[in-house]
Amino acid sequence: MSIEGERANPIDGGDNVAVADENPRTASTAHRMLDMPAELARRGISRRDFLKYCTMMAATLALPTDQISRIAHALEAVQRPAAIYLEFQDCAGCTEAFLRASHPSVSQIILDKISLNYQETIMAAAGTQAEAAAQDTIAAGNYLLMVEGSISTKDQGVYCCVAGRSALDLLAEAAKNASAIVAVGSCAAFGNIPAAYPNPTGAVGVSSLVSHVPIVNMSGCPVNAVNLAAIVTYYVTYRSLPQLDQLGRPLFAYGTRIHDACERRAHFDAGQYVEHWGDEGHREGWCLYKMGCKGPATFHNCPAVRYNERTSWPVLAGHGCIGCSQPKFWDQMTPFYERLPDVKGFGVEFNVDRIAEILAAVSVFAVAAHAVGSVVRRRSKPESPPPVDENPKAEENTEMDENQEEPK
Amino acid sequence: MTHIAIDPITRIEGHLRIEAEVDSGQVTDAWSSSTMFRGIEIILQNRDPRDAWLFAQRI
Repeated sequence: MSIEGERANPIDGGDNVAVADENPRTASTAHRMLDMPAELARRGISRRDFLKYCTMMAATLALPTDQISRIAHALEAVQRPAAIYLEFQDCAGCTEAFLRASHPSVSQIILDKISLNYQETIMAAAGTQAEAAAQDTIAAGNYLLMVEGSISTKDQGVYCCVAGRSALDLLAEAAKNASAIVAVGSCAAFGNIPAAYPNPTGAVGVSSLVSHVPIVNMSGCPVNAVNLAAIVTYYVTYRSLPQLDQLGRPLFAYGTRIHDACERRAHFDAGQYVEHWGDEGHREGWCLYKMGCKGPATFHNCPAVRYNERTSWPVLAGHGCIGCSQPKFWDQMTPFYERLPDVKGFGVEFNVDRIAEILAAVSVFAVAAHAVGSVVRRRSKPESPPPVDENPKAEENTEMDENQEEPK
Repeated sequence: MTHIAIDPITRIEGHLRIEAEVDSGQVTDAWSSSTMFRGIEIILQNRDPRDAWLFAQRI
């Protein structure tokens, strides 16, 4: 990216050493000033594209249509919020998912709307110049902190260091003056794969270490670029975070169970399952539950938003969901190709309503009973209706025993 | 003889530190360090082999 004029941002190859010499607050404010319509036009993004983007964001966020103009207005404001994007124990997959979107990409628009002063994978500056850019932004305060990757806590955090400092140290410093934190992807949200058994490096998510700043967990492995753009758009527009679930995830993206919105759900209901890879059912696009799909235990908007500019998502491509937006899915959802009863535990956010939904499903769909009933029994002792039991005979026997005992 | 350290190396995926000794504009010696470790090899042990690709593709 080559930028003319006053926007001398280290991400764009500007001379951040000169910036460091100025008052950081004035300097970073100056960076945020630019003529947005002209800037978008220069990048080949038309007004129509921009408004389409605003509409898509409002739709993703489940906001009423009158909020589209508010989003557009906020994004056109000359004052751009500063942001720092830190990478710790990550694979950069979330960065890639965000940056590889096509034109006019959500990432382009977001990168224009925030003053992203530090992002290792795309910034031109390196070494001390890169660190100076982060330091200036931290000193100025009131920035959006985005974190990708888990944080190693074992052995003083020696397993992840940047510029000679541990991720533990860097996160504590960067979180100090942040106005909000976006945990990008499941690693930053819940620890994810580095935290999988036996968690060799003591990896944890951001919310295990930071408590004084609002945190939103954008889980997913990788994060969905549209959802990430939506949360940043929400923050830029309202300067706050949307409603979150018990796991700190925004309800607009994680409020629906994959299984309930799945395009193959009709086949589940009809008892049409893929039994073997490549069989007739697989070719016909039947339900992947028996092949290990974790959609019934996973909350994410994949069926609606999909990945790669809404091209596809795993289930559409013929592979079961692996539950990547749920905490500890590497341990609780594996083996991935075994069906759900073998899973040690469902996501922890099952509430009474959801259990009731499951109970209803159980009573209707006997095929699912053995999958869900055991979980329901473990989770609660419902008043009504009782879950369909896997071993009705065992219960009958018990009753008989009791009956037999009573006369005694 | 000057000893320089560039950390982080940017525009790559992963964490990299390069140290070099420079003598009259010539690099005479250099060291690279990968400064992040997750232990995916350790995590993969005793897992269902069918799951391995999902772990390994996230390296």
